[in-house]
Amino acid sequence: MELIRTEFPFITLSLLIPAISALIVLFIQDRLVRWVSLAGAGLTFLLSLVVLFSFDYSKTASVQFYEEYTILEELNVKLSLGLDGLSMLMYFLTTLISLVAIVWSVRDKQISFRLKEYYIAFLLTESFLVGVFASFDVLVFYVFYELTLIPMLFVIGVWGYKLRLYSAYKFFIYIFASSLFLLLGIATVAVVHYKGFGSFSFSYFDLLKNTYPLGLEIFVFLLFFIAFAVKTPLVPFHTWLPDAHGEAPTAGSVVLAAILLKMGTYALLRFNVGLFPEATLKLMPFLVAIGLITIVYASWMTIVQNNIKRFVAYSSVSHMGFVVTALFLLNMEGLRASVMEMFAHGMTSASLFMIAGFIYSRLHTFNMENLRGSVKFMPVFAVLVATTAFAAMGLPGGSSFWGKFLTVVAAKEYSLSLALLVIAGGFFSAAYVLFMLKTLFLDVREESILIHFTDIRGFKLASFILLVIPIFLIGFFPHIFFNMFEGSIGFILKNLLGLK
Amino acid sequence: MTIEDLIGTLQLPRLELFLPELIVLVTAFTVFTLDLVLSSPLKRKILPSLSAIGYILALLSMTVTVQYKGDTFYGTFTNDALGVLVKAFELIIALTVLAFAHRYFLSKKSFYGEFYYILAFTLLGAMILVSSYNLIIIYVSLELVSIGFYILTALLRGSFISKEGAFKYLILGGLSIALASYGAVFMYVYSGSIDLREILRYQGEDYHYLILGLVLFLIGFAIKIGAVPFHFWLPDAYQGAPTPVTAFMASVGKLAFFIPVVRIMPLIQDKFAVAWMLTVGVIAAATMLYGNFVALVQKDIKRLLAYSSIAHSGYILAAVAVTEVIGLKAVIYFLVVYAIMAAGSFFVVAMLERSENWNNETREFAGLRFSLPYVAFAFMVYMFALLGVPPTVGFVGKTLVFMALSFDELWWLAFIMILSTAISTGYYVRLVVLMYMKEKEKEVSIPGRSYAEIASLVFLTLLTVALAVVPGVVWGLLSPGAETLFAR
Repeated sequence: MELIRTEFPFITLSLLIPAISALIVLFIQDRLVRWVSLAGAGLTFLLSLVVLFSFDYSKTASVQFYEEYTILEELNVKLSLGLDGLSMLMYFLTTLISLVAIVWSVRDKQISFRLKEYYIAFLLTESFLVGVFASFDVLVFYVFYELTLIPMLFVIGVWGYKLRLYSAYKFFIYIFASSLFLLLGIATVAVVHYKGFGSFSFSYFDLLKNTYPLGLEIFVFLLFFIAFAVKTPLVPFHTWLPDAHGEAPTAGSVVLAAILLKMGTYALLRFNVGLFPEATLKLMPFLVAIGLITIVYASWMTIVQNNIKRFVAYSSVSHMGFVVTALFLLNMEGLRASVMEMFAHGMTSASLFMIAGFIYSRLHTFNMENLRGSVKFMPVFAVLVATTAFAAMGLPGGSSFWGKFLTVVAAKEYSLSLALLVIAGGFFSAAYVLFMLKTLFLDVREESILIHFTDIRGFKLASFILLVIPIFLIGFFPHIFFNMFEGSIGFILKNLLGLK
Repeated sequence: MTIEDLIGTLQLPRLELFLPELIVLVTAFTVFTLDLVLSSPLKRKILPSLSAIGYILALLSMTVTVQYKGDTFYGTFTNDALGVLVKAFELIIALTVLAFAHRYFLSKKSFYGEFYYILAFTLLGAMILVSSYNLIIIYVSLELVSIGFYILTALLRGSFISKEGAFKYLILGGLSIALASYGAVFMYVYSGSIDLREILRYQGEDYHYLILGLVLFLIGFAIKIGAVPFHFWLPDAYQGAPTPVTAFMASVGKLAFFIPVVRIMPLIQDKFAVAWMLTVGVIAAATMLYGNFVALVQKDIKRLLAYSSIAHSGYILAAVAVTEVIGLKAVIYFLVVYAIMAAGSFFVVAMLERSENWNNETREFAGLRFSLPYVAFAFMVYMFALLGVPPTVGFVGKTLVFMALSFDELWWLAFIMILSTAISTGYYVRLVVLMYMKEKEKEVSIPGRSYAEIASLVFLTLLTVALAVVPGVVWGLLSPGAETLFAR
């Protein structure tokens, strides 16, 4: 991997702007908090646009905007930040969704107390997430990965709905306990580097050179895998997710579903597939099977939910099943599908959670029974619901189409029956989306006259529009995004298939 | 032997190696004398400030001692990088203890002049204990530290649990010293030397004497550090002692009792690698599991922190089991930073105890964020540090232990550590959730906060993060210290 150093510290700046905004928020009056946070997130988003346009798309395999600061000489711990094509996409997703979450929160009734802490939590999450996706030092990656837990614990536990404390606990304990395996794994790869090269190292580039005996490689692969499988989440490690996503405030669910889950899949691709190619090839059938089980099981679970937030939460799990299945098919189409779906799911899951949050603000219930036919009275909102729901379903022109389509293509390279299995998974996910649309649009609502519906407008509309634009961009001009990460996944795949 | 020969063997003590101890010794005696002669109101001002000045001077004198290395007093006192590092932290924590103790005892409506000189003598003992290989010196300083702790624990004469804790500590502590000294005798019988380095390098024939001696000696220390199954005194003593003293015992005490073992650890591993790994590994596993499981059901915050202290002994022991230099570094780093986390968390409790009708129950932490935002924040930092969430020192400590364990491929121990850390999430996060996410249960306010207290708390809290983000500060002394020991 080639390193292209930068003269201007773009990444450090995108780490620092949200963090400094959080610091400013701490010291100002309550009525200014919203606008300062908005400015902070907006500024970071603009910076990420600058980065997006100054990124060199002819060298997506190399790490650009690279910066390095030594933390501990002896153990070779470095704060090494940079973006390759894959990180670039995730970094852009982070700044976009963080902005959306904060724009949404400005007019969210749920957020009426402890404003400062709320916005500090979101700004810090953004900063940490940039760190997660830009770190090329495994230990520093872990630090940021864990740090995102703390603000999210607060977001769920303080501003969540009824079962918030239980869900916050469960969220923290699941993720923290599972990532201890990751920590052991990271310690082990550093030690393996020491035994091979005579010095500890946590640098991704150094760890690529490691060689392992097969048994150890599979062991370390599994240590990493447990942590990311819980984070992603994959069945049977998914039980924290419906609780956490179901009880978090809307913006919290948006960040959780759209970015935090991607940390799991991003890391599976970057570290599990990147660092342990031999183990990946050995375990591939098992991993694809887990992915397929996740798709089907989560889809079924989605259909029977009667709480719309838990409905969306389970649909996220089934989408992550697609991402992981495609990822471990380990061919070019599969990896393309996987990364594309990661980004696309960021858009659609965020808007689905915002739909749930918006309906709650009008009807004060998440119960599907009571939501019947409710969208009919809000035409603009109805259009947004239809757009994002069809996009999530995988209709051509929407964002999820390319992910699902290419997964089928990738599966077809192995066998027709595998492709048919994936198509069956796609069928179930279409089924639940249609079920939701039927409930919201077509079911008859008797007592509707009694409730006053105001259509979506202002900040909430703005946050939807921020998401709808990329949804159509992906749908109609996918090559923009494919070009972005082509080189990086090509690099990972070459590393992998060099062994075959 | 003529008189000239005797004079010829006389060595002048190299004071530059012994400077901090000397200053603490002088401070202790001065405070002791002043406590006898001064009138009571004057004492309240002079004794704490004089002790503080003494400790600060000792801390400053470390800048001299750090430049010299070697033995003095006929090889009974050793000054090296490890000793300097540990002593610096002992002095820093003793200073913060002074800051918190004053108001604490005032709120208990009592002033104890003896607290200050016993603290100084205990500190002196702890400083000598970490810088000697000599069995006699270890024995004497061990007694000095232990007796100091017994008295300090029982300082609240009116309180039943204070006396109960001190009595338990006295009995088991006495047992531990008896065992350690008995072990020392066997080691002397084996080798004819009282220097631990010589004993362990000696190639004797009566190996069983060495084994018996070492086992007894180490059991003595295992009781002191609260390793399962020798931990029974620890929760009671920690709960009964005045809280600043608990902080002192949990930090300086743990440092002092661990370091002699750390010093001889590479030498023992040289002889008995496998047996050492297995025995210490099993004890470590039992200690961390037991500590965390029992802490989970505690309702008293001091007992909870005491069991968490037992659990941390387990984590540190896990690295002690490792026979590589990275294990030694992990042990030293974790010890030093645990001292900070433990001291800080007990100091917060000491401050809260001054609030009216505060009973040290965990449920009283509910809504603490609303009454005392800064104290609650500091306590949250300590809880996350003890849990091992980055970017705190607890996280770096756990990472180092994991690295050490994977170096020796002690996977079973690593998994037990993962399991017990996962269990500990239950009670640490519960406290954070109580403080930040529950409604306020009652009004908590701390009367008369002093600047010294606030400064100490801020300093310790910053240190909890700073030593993880900028680890180079500690590493500069830690790494050469560990390398020297490991060179055997």
